[in-house]
Amino acid sequence: MNKIDKLKISRRDLLTTGTGAAVVGAAAVATPLKSAEAAKAKAPRWGMVMDLRKCIGCRACTVACKAENDVSLGRFRTVVQENTYGKFPNTKKGFLPIMCNHCEGNEKDKIPPCIKECPEFPGERAKFKTPDGKTIRYRKGGTYKRPDGVVLVDTEKCIGCGKCIDACPYGVRSFDPFTKAGKDTSKQAVDKCDLCVHRLDNGLEPSCANTCQGRARIFGDLNDPGSKVAQLVKEHNLADNVLLKEEGTKPHVFYIDPDGALKNVYKKREKGKLDHYVDLIP
Amino acid sequence: MTKLKLNRRNFMQLAGAGGAAMAAGAGGSDKALAGSVKLAEGGKDFSPTTGKERKAIPSACWTCVTRDSMIGYVEDGRLKKLEGHPQSIRGLGKLCAKGQAGVNQVYFPDRILYPMQRVGKRGEHKWKRISWDAALDLIASKLKPLRDAGTPELFMYHYGRHKASQAATMYDFMAAYGTGTIGNHTSVCEAGKWVGQESLWGGMYDNWDYDKTDFVVIFGSNQFETHTNHIPTSQRLIRAHVDRGVPIYTFDVRLTNTAAKSTEWVPINVGHDGLVMLSMINVIMNENLYRKDHFKFMRVTKDYHATTAQKIAAVKANVAKYTPEFAEKQSGVPAAKIREIARGFAKAKSACLVTYRGTVMHYHGADQERAAMLLSAITNNLDRAGGRVMGVGAGWKAPSSKKAKVNKALHIKDGFPGEAAYPTHHVSHQVLPLIKDGQHGRPKVYWWSCYNPAFINGNNDEARAILKDESIMPFLITSTIAYDESSQYADLILPDVTYLERWDWEDMVSANQIAEFYIRQPLVKPLGEARCQGDVWPELAKRLGFELAYSSKEDYVRQSCEMTPGVKEAGGFEYMKKHGVWHDPKAKPNYGFYEQKVDVSGDGVIRDDKTGVYWNWKKAGVASAAAAKKKGYLGVKGAKASYVAQDIGGTAYLAYPPNTKFVKAGYLDFYSDNFAKKGFPAFPTYTPIPEHVKMAKDELILTTYKIAVHSHSRTAQCKWLAEIKHDNPGWINPKTAAERGIKDGDKIKVHNEIGEVMTTAHVTEGIIPGIIAISHHLGRQHSGIYGSGKNSPINGGASPDPDVKNMWWKKHGAHPNTVIPNSSDPISGTQRWMDTVVRVSKA
Repeated sequence: MNKIDKLKISRRDLLTTGTGAAVVGAAAVATPLKSAEAAKAKAPRWGMVMDLRKCIGCRACTVACKAENDVSLGRFRTVVQENTYGKFPNTKKGFLPIMCNHCEGNEKDKIPPCIKECPEFPGERAKFKTPDGKTIRYRKGGTYKRPDGVVLVDTEKCIGCGKCIDACPYGVRSFDPFTKAGKDTSKQAVDKCDLCVHRLDNGLEPSCANTCQGRARIFGDLNDPGSKVAQLVKEHNLADNVLLKEEGTKPHVFYIDPDGALKNVYKKREKGKLDHYVDLIP
Repeated sequence: MTKLKLNRRNFMQLAGAGGAAMAAGAGGSDKALAGSVKLAEGGKDFSPTTGKERKAIPSACWTCVTRDSMIGYVEDGRLKKLEGHPQSIRGLGKLCAKGQAGVNQVYFPDRILYPMQRVGKRGEHKWKRISWDAALDLIASKLKPLRDAGTPELFMYHYGRHKASQAATMYDFMAAYGTGTIGNHTSVCEAGKWVGQESLWGGMYDNWDYDKTDFVVIFGSNQFETHTNHIPTSQRLIRAHVDRGVPIYTFDVRLTNTAAKSTEWVPINVGHDGLVMLSMINVIMNENLYRKDHFKFMRVTKDYHATTAQKIAAVKANVAKYTPEFAEKQSGVPAAKIREIARGFAKAKSACLVTYRGTVMHYHGADQERAAMLLSAITNNLDRAGGRVMGVGAGWKAPSSKKAKVNKALHIKDGFPGEAAYPTHHVSHQVLPLIKDGQHGRPKVYWWSCYNPAFINGNNDEARAILKDESIMPFLITSTIAYDESSQYADLILPDVTYLERWDWEDMVSANQIAEFYIRQPLVKPLGEARCQGDVWPELAKRLGFELAYSSKEDYVRQSCEMTPGVKEAGGFEYMKKHGVWHDPKAKPNYGFYEQKVDVSGDGVIRDDKTGVYWNWKKAGVASAAAAKKKGYLGVKGAKASYVAQDIGGTAYLAYPPNTKFVKAGYLDFYSDNFAKKGFPAFPTYTPIPEHVKMAKDELILTTYKIAVHSHSRTAQCKWLAEIKHDNPGWINPKTAAERGIKDGDKIKVHNEIGEVMTTAHVTEGIIPGIIAISHHLGRQHSGIYGSGKNSPINGGASPDPDVKNMWWKKHGAHPNTVIPNSSDPISGTQRWMDTVVRVSKA
């Protein structure tokens, strides 16, 4: 594995703290959406199930994402981790696609840790319109969560501080060397998986799911009990089959994982580094 | 078919969903869809920056031979994204990593966009840009005298990846010019596999019916990472495995992704696939698990008229020595495991036996393929639903130009005299060495395209020296998009288009036994002065004084669409431009071609007593019926072309016609006179690899392999792929490494009598002891900044890529072919990639 210091992103100091202040800031914000309202307004809750039985480590998702979103070299919006374990001849190899988990946030305030750290959150007020015509009010920010669960970055509002990069326990955010932070153009804006929101809002699933030949990436609305993702979560009891459950972030990427890839393959981020988030075939 | 229907339904829903999204988003800044709306998988794309819908154009991939149908998405004239074509019955809307990275092929900063003429010495990298007119005049000045002198064969054209209309237009031009000195590259791919198959079922290209199969056994094939028909087959296999519980057993020297996702990885020693198959046959025969059904189509002894009982006895006798215990000793596969898999394979309702390069790129590789066919035949899994089936592809009609009066070829395509007995797919890795040798003549003009002979064959140093030496071949032309190990020695570089800027019709095999017709069309206008070869041929023909039947590649494709049955009725060229793909909606999957009963009452058809073959003596050009009877089917040269049917128990079946160079009856020739008369085993046999038998204790076997994100030589410049795979350390088992004092990450030297390769050690439990495995895509001398770490030493005229400043990798791998000699399977002429003996030491 290459060290993070070879990557563009590493030049940033990811260890900037200042978390205390940010937590206070976030705690002062009202929950963007009360759950009762959400049920009434019938917002979708987008999520992904990764059926690891069907992931063959082909990396089509990694490259499709690069193309779809023109992701610069040196960073990724999704990667496939792989690991070989066990002793010859009983050796095993597993694959684990990882990306932004579009977390719900903890039980208390339902704000994901990345957003909680954003000095620009909460920002402007916004309305989310559901297809059945209802309106859900929410707050935007440098990074924020839309009522349909998509965690987004607003590069115009981003100040390029990198606190969200550091705060994400999964390490799936990075600075985009081609986009300036809108509110501080001496810095680069943060970038991450946005579930191909430009496709999503036009009725298309994300590009990674589109190209997944094993159909291991299954995308859909977890609020719709008839959706495949909702059914899989129920059928395979996936509520706890998420990355770093102990962080309490409530990820919305779930894993069907009969072979223990979450245990045998997952390489966590090391504090201040992102070298777990480089797709490399050994 | 079901899957396609489903896709179409999704498509319909997409239309509805799109409407809903628009309506919902109309009033606010955010558009969103409610939970009950079903998302479409693809078929459209939008710009993430402007939100505008991107222009969608159906086309076809070319990054590997699979040639998936796809949709290209263009934004403001720039290609942004590629997706699998959602209506393709082959690809089912999927595209692999290499295909996705096709965007990089158009825009990599080292691309050559203008004709370049050499001005320094060969290999000095001194070039001047010239016009296309000047380039074509120069070529004509070299080619016309050869043709006028009646020596058109002194012009050699050598191609790597040419297929369908790209190959057809080239062959058409060459025939009109008069040269048959046309080289290919199949011997470095899998020629031994085809030769083994052709000796049996008369044709070639097996497909595996994964949608219907119940059991899969794979030898030396990495379906999930890379394969000749990767996207159509791989996705079906993983779904069969997970959704239907189909077991997969993968025999391989490495823990490939395929092996990793199989029910079980069965490690096997190099070169023993055929032996394990023969041992499986031993188990199946001895435990009476075979099925009699297919024996009537088989020939297993000299006798053409043996009964099924006699054939069963003969197969048993022939494999008696291959007990699982014997096979265990040689192959390292436990006898119990061989029995278990053999029983599962035989008892399954249907089963696929898959082989590829790991099995056939060996000494007697063609014979290993014959063992695979035998195992399939005795379990009645040949060309039956769920089994190993004969591939079905599109049959296009195309315009044809007038052939030259003089058509000749140099005999430099099939290896050195005596090198290969049945090189039906030629011996391309020996073309340059044979040219150097000179005994069969040397081309005066050598033109290669989509081919990098000094990288993809063995013994690269020798190939480079041959190209560099002006006294061997005086004029070298290449059509290429990249400056590479071979084009650096050209005298004239023609800027080729990428496949994303050109027209073609396509015909690759389907995975569901229904032919798909599809086309490739330009997604963007060719950059710079890049020009498709199909557009070059008519221009060049004019300069040489003859006309072709088409004026451009587009015209060729247009004419083909208008003359091909089915496509024509569907709407011809306009339909194909709009939809990209077509298949006969009424077509049923094609199985069991050999069971077709044939009318043998035709004029001139007689039955040959010796073989039971019905053949047409008139067509065969024999003077009389009596003479034909007397000489017999096997006694008349060329009689195989008049084959009509095989008499089997009084019924005339189409059976397995001799459609290739092999002279044979209509049986599956498991007893092969062809093999016997050349001194090779008539019946599939275990033949140890001579070099491996003689190996010293400290020597290792070097094997090479492909990975998911690179083709052999055409993707190094793709930044999105190079970022994922730019270094290729040698895989080595901990035990083997420890014996040499090698630790993970150590610099190592892989060497033998022809050279050495420096790389690092990847010490892994995912490989058998006693070998070292190095992937074969990297270690580029030239391929531009992303592939070799340095810009090409030629100004190709492409725009710079601002992303270059974000390139972070400093390693660019090692090329194992440097230490692999050009060495052929004596049966088929296939390059023996997997037989090389090396020493490995800490560097």
